[in-house]
Amino acid sequence: MSAAAPTVELPIAAAAAQGYWTGVFRRLLRDKVALACALVLIAIVLAAIFAPYVAPADPAKGAILKRLQPIGAEGFPLGSDELGRDMLSRLIFGGRLSLMMGLSPVFFALVIGGFLGIVAGFVGGRTNTVIMRTVDVFFAFPSVLLAVAISGALGAGIANAMLALTVVFIPPIARVAESVTTQVRSLDFVEAARASGAGAFTIIRVHILGNVLGPIFVYATSLVSVSMILAAGLSFLGLGTKPPDPEWGLMLNTLRTAIYIQPWVAALPGALIFVVSISFNLLSDGMRSAMDVQR
Amino acid sequence: MRLHRLLCSLAFAGASLTVHAQGTLRVGMTAADIPIVTGQPDQGGEGQRFLAYTAYDALVHWDFSSADKPSTLVPGLAASWKVDDKDRTKWTFTIRKGVKYHDGSEFKAQAAVWNFDKLLKSDAPQYDSKQAAQGRSRIPAIKTYRAIDDYTLEIVTNEPDAFLPYQLTWIPMSSPANWEKVGKSWEAYAKSVSGTGPWKLVSWTPRERAELVPNKAYWDPKRVPKLDRMILLPLPEPSTRVAALRSGQVDWIEAPPGDAVPGLKAAGFQIITNVYPHNWVWHLSRAEGSPFNDVRVRKAANLAIDREGLNKLLGGLSIPAKGFMPPGHEWFGKPEALRYDPAAARKLMAEAGYTKEKPLAFKAIVPSSGSGMMQPLPMNELVQQNLNEVGFKVELEAMEWNTIINAWRAGAKAPGSRGAAAMNYSYFIQDPFTAFTRHLQSDLIAPKGTNWGYYNDKAMDDLLLKAKTTFEPKEQTRVLQQIHEKFVNDALFLAITHDVNPRALSPKVQGFVQAQNWFQDFSPVYMTK
Amino acid sequence: MIAYLLKRLGLVIPIALAVSVVCFALVYLAPGDPLSAVVPSDASKEMVEELKKEYGFDKPIPVQYAVWLGRTLQGNLGQSIATGRPVATEIGSAIGNTLILAFAASLVGFTLGAVLGTIAGYFSGSWIDKAVSAIAVAGVSVPHYWLGMVLVIVFSVILGWLPAMGAGPGGSGEWTWDAEHLKHLVLPAFALSVIPTSIVTRTLRALVADTLSKEFVIALVAKGLGQGAIFMHVVKNVAPTALAVMGVQLGYLMGGSILIETVFSWPGTGFLLNTAIFQRDVPLLQGTILVLAMFFVGLNLIVDLVQTALDPRIRRT
Repeated sequence: MSAAAPTVELPIAAAAAQGYWTGVFRRLLRDKVALACALVLIAIVLAAIFAPYVAPADPAKGAILKRLQPIGAEGFPLGSDELGRDMLSRLIFGGRLSLMMGLSPVFFALVIGGFLGIVAGFVGGRTNTVIMRTVDVFFAFPSVLLAVAISGALGAGIANAMLALTVVFIPPIARVAESVTTQVRSLDFVEAARASGAGAFTIIRVHILGNVLGPIFVYATSLVSVSMILAAGLSFLGLGTKPPDPEWGLMLNTLRTAIYIQPWVAALPGALIFVVSISFNLLSDGMRSAMDVQR
Repeated sequence: MRLHRLLCSLAFAGASLTVHAQGTLRVGMTAADIPIVTGQPDQGGEGQRFLAYTAYDALVHWDFSSADKPSTLVPGLAASWKVDDKDRTKWTFTIRKGVKYHDGSEFKAQAAVWNFDKLLKSDAPQYDSKQAAQGRSRIPAIKTYRAIDDYTLEIVTNEPDAFLPYQLTWIPMSSPANWEKVGKSWEAYAKSVSGTGPWKLVSWTPRERAELVPNKAYWDPKRVPKLDRMILLPLPEPSTRVAALRSGQVDWIEAPPGDAVPGLKAAGFQIITNVYPHNWVWHLSRAEGSPFNDVRVRKAANLAIDREGLNKLLGGLSIPAKGFMPPGHEWFGKPEALRYDPAAARKLMAEAGYTKEKPLAFKAIVPSSGSGMMQPLPMNELVQQNLNEVGFKVELEAMEWNTIINAWRAGAKAPGSRGAAAMNYSYFIQDPFTAFTRHLQSDLIAPKGTNWGYYNDKAMDDLLLKAKTTFEPKEQTRVLQQIHEKFVNDALFLAITHDVNPRALSPKVQGFVQAQNWFQDFSPVYMTK
Repeated sequence: MIAYLLKRLGLVIPIALAVSVVCFALVYLAPGDPLSAVVPSDASKEMVEELKKEYGFDKPIPVQYAVWLGRTLQGNLGQSIATGRPVATEIGSAIGNTLILAFAASLVGFTLGAVLGTIAGYFSGSWIDKAVSAIAVAGVSVPHYWLGMVLVIVFSVILGWLPAMGAGPGGSGEWTWDAEHLKHLVLPAFALSVIPTSIVTRTLRALVADTLSKEFVIALVAKGLGQGAIFMHVVKNVAPTALAVMGVQLGYLMGGSILIETVFSWPGTGFLLNTAIFQRDVPLLQGTILVLAMFFVGLNLIVDLVQTALDPRIRRT
């Protein structure tokens, strides 16, 4: 389980050219695998957003008599859970919490870590050392351990879990951001801009950000799958969402006893995590390839 | 010649039957850790079942010999006892002669005094705060005690209390001589355990296993165990427990989930159940500010629970509650019937000012597993669902079993209870004290007792005192029935269901008699090949 | 080299200290007053006062940290609230099991990953490459605790080939490398190995493909160098980074085994951590995390040094 120590091959654009990004987008569209993944993800996200309209039943309402029905049973297209609630509806609604818990930490880490890394990379010197050494300290913890430690100490709950995960992802993103920014900063055209007397903010805005945000963003998307699995893992351990909230990790936990009666139903939440996870990974890979001009 | 051969083969067969009918029994418990081994176990009733009555004895025992009638008290280390006719606070216990500890020393009245000091006298050298925390609240009746001679023990109670013998069943007797021998340390005692019980604890690893072997010199030859060895394994997770049984890693599991039962039966495992004095409730807080101080809210909660539905969740392995005692119990009396009526519940809640749109929010602490807790997580989810339907908004906080026991002892107002207004617990209700007094008597709040909810009602206190001081059995029963009726009619707790003590055994396990009791006797058990 | 070694060691100390600060701070993260986090609920007044003094709760925080650090360096990690046993003892008995599990998982993971990755790298671009990459991506995307559950159903319950839980007949105290114990190791090790396998596969695939496409290799092939010799070149080029990745993965296995240990009731430090959280046993939580984090820091140091020794061109500023 890792937000692996980033070794990022940097495809730096020669200049923040409009043509570059259009090229990336076009290459992405031609990549069938990445396209398919993007569509799958869009479908799942839309289903989650419009859950009350899409889900056939109330995810909180259960009929004990109808518990643990198999997939395809009458009225339960994907079976029912241990309290007789419709699995399909719970999975759709569950997407809301699972996606939120998976995406938000990465988003917040992107903002915070990105900011820290860019500043460290641009300013260099003492500031860089201070920021990066602090980041290194958190790198000294394996991500699962850090997430469990923080949410274990704070106590169960969605907010605590998201906070813990954000802290876990800030260091790797900061590292990547710093590394990328440092590389860009030393490029000729940036040197030229500084020599010509341009202010720091202008340089950052015009030259750096355009080149740097791309790789950072791509790296962050590769973290989403880790985040989802970790978030679900925290719920699995009882540290994230609490019953009766539908969330894929928690559902895996509560359905564990059902493994002997309806193994396929019990496996569904995990399968969904897997699908979303692999889609993000493949999409991220595709984006990285599309941005690699030297291919 | 032929007869001789026949006799020989019969004898041989008989001998091989006995030789094979021993074996090693591996038991999967619901506890997450090995209970305290030094005498007074933790982990609730399961701890008592596996680490008290096995390696140790108490002064008074339960009769485990029959499955068909309620279990009653029988002599243990005390061969007999009587209460003084004139001064009903004075009890005299005659100690059984010739009982030896596993370390060879003899059990005498002074050892009993030493053990009471271990739990009650904080300045005694042998005082052990861990054991005291578990044992102290079991014997609130005891005021003073002394050894009149080697085999006579006198106990004086605070006031006349007919329930004293019941309380004494909870106190296993550790060995003073052994404690001295290992250097007066309980940590060292735990490495070299000595009790008077039918089993000897030969080794144990925290969180993993404990191994017991028969005590061939046990004072009751009928209860010398037939097995070679019994191994206890903590398996708090129900699906892991079932998996362990099915894959042959253990031969016996406590509390199989109802879902797994049909599959287990089909695979040839024995499912053993029996009624026993147990209930599974939500203990309600009556501290200041608790929403459950309003009787309408309490009654609404009781009306909201679909107990028959819960029974289905458990695969039929429960008895839906009709009161606080199991239906048919001699103390049941004639309270108002408990029923499932969500509409009536909603009406009461509305009267109290709560609806589904403006619900009454509160937190309940629930254990994740544990002795007598059945299948707590799905059951509590169902209760939560039922309550949410009628105008409550329940937040469940799951805790580990031993942690919740500590919260129970600390009371609803303590930080360990996390601000909860209700606590899911299962109660041993085999005697009047454990069934009623300890939850309801107003002065038995923490740290003296386990009235977790701080319930305080003069009428109830009077009834409890009356029951305690009524030594005539029929009259006592009548008072207990009155207590039960008030319990149910005032909706003091959220009464939900009763367990049926299910166990799943491999077909090779024979000889087990499941008594109508929280505790069991493992001595008659043996394994076939 | 020695200078680098010393410099690197010098860097470790502040990191280790900072890690200890984070662990120390965990007690203060816990809701409620920190004293209640370390005091058993049945403690007498005297015990509470004693613990207060021992932990220094009446003193300012930096002093408390110093006290805690001093005690920790002497090996006293406090007492578990739930069991009253010293935390160091609990961890000591558990860490061996996690090491066994991590070792087994890394053996599987690195071997399988190296083989698959190298094959994919050699056949870069072909369907073999695509297949291996697909497997690797799947491996990184699957929730391994879910995989563990599935393995239990298939191999334990349905087929009955392997045990569902635990570390073997004698418990963790008596681990021996025999068939009976190895049977218990198979499923958890495999479930745990999925992620490192995938990461090593991907890494090695990229490295091998990259090396093979380098000009000097092409030149060597043109000169007629045999496949065996080429392979040795590849290995030499790939080894430092590959070893670095493997080392880091080993660290993650040690620290991140909690989910698998929970599913399989494997009595290691992860299981201990789970119990500590559930029982709100903060001293145990603190101690376990500290030990695991230190392991990780130490491992990173070793990896760094080995990597530098193998390829002096690599330097981390």
